[in-house]
Amino acid sequence: MSMLLSLFLKLSVFSMIAFGGVNALLPELLNLAVNQEQWIDLQTFSDYFAIAQAAPGPNFMTVTLLGWHIYGIIGALVATFAIVWPSSVLIFFLQRFILGIKDPVKKKSIQYAAAALAIGLVLSSAWEIALQINHGVAAYLLTITTIGLTLFTRWHPLYLIAMGGVLGVLGFI
Amino acid sequence: MQQKTLTPKQLFIGFSKIGMSGFGGVLPWARRTLVEREKILTSEEFSAILGICQIVPGPNVVNLAVCVGSRFGGARGAVAAVLGLTLGPIAIVMLLATLYEHYSHLDTVQGILRGISAVGVGLIASTGFKMLRDEFQYPAMLLVVLITILAATYFHLGLGWVVLTASPLAIFLARKKALRI
Repeated sequence: MSMLLSLFLKLSVFSMIAFGGVNALLPELLNLAVNQEQWIDLQTFSDYFAIAQAAPGPNFMTVTLLGWHIYGIIGALVATFAIVWPSSVLIFFLQRFILGIKDPVKKKSIQYAAAALAIGLVLSSAWEIALQINHGVAAYLLTITTIGLTLFTRWHPLYLIAMGGVLGVLGFI
Repeated sequence: MQQKTLTPKQLFIGFSKIGMSGFGGVLPWARRTLVEREKILTSEEFSAILGICQIVPGPNVVNLAVCVGSRFGGARGAVAAVLGLTLGPIAIVMLLATLYEHYSHLDTVQGILRGISAVGVGLIASTGFKMLRDEFQYPAMLLVVLITILAATYFHLGLGWVVLTASPLAIFLARKKALRI
């Protein structure tokens, strides 16, 4: 029970600082769950990350799965609620305020500052997660190929995920 | 001008569809459904709302559900939209977790998951790179990106500290950028 409470509180705090969305806080989540609290081992965390990528829906499902691992269905719901409520309450009250800002310079400044933070956090997150879950050259090559295909083609992400799965089954990764 | 209202039930159903079809990222589907198919937002309104959702921390798509839900149905609408967006995918992911418990020892399953996570990391990185393209309009802003990355990956600061460290320069440069463009 205290584990559940601790999960709830920590995820609630993460929700307030996750500029760039949940993807930006994955390394922090990994560090908390694997190294500090030892709720889960690294392999299972990576596998949950993969399942969350393959499933439909918002990209915070790694959090849901972590909750599930700790405390079953209740854990999954508590973890999801924790990551969702603080930012939801914040934006519920902030949206009218921000939409109401008349000064275009002020409005754009807020947007530009948040975007720069988000870019930095998302890129760092990808880097740190890659270091943790990619084992071997082939995995890095696949990651780099994915980046190239996403940036220079219009392939749907689902095809790339399928490609990853197939290469994995064939034993390349 | 915008007087349309939607019942919580309509919002719940609408966002359920968005959540369940969002393979590999929900935002494109949200746009397709809200702007192109149901026509409850214009393209400009969608972009404006999305801009705000990306400013505020937290899951971006959930933020979008809160904004759209509350605009058309108040607080109850917001709750309905978020529940619609999340409940279906949560059920699916728990089903997958159950399967995982039974079959994770198989080499095939482990292989699939390794392949998918390598792609998943790439997808996250590409989101960052795509956003990074826009920053070249005002290259000074790249300094903020660099500081954020160094603080997080080299100095291993926690997320909160990274945000605190990079914010002052981000706000300063953002204001200059806004005045220039």
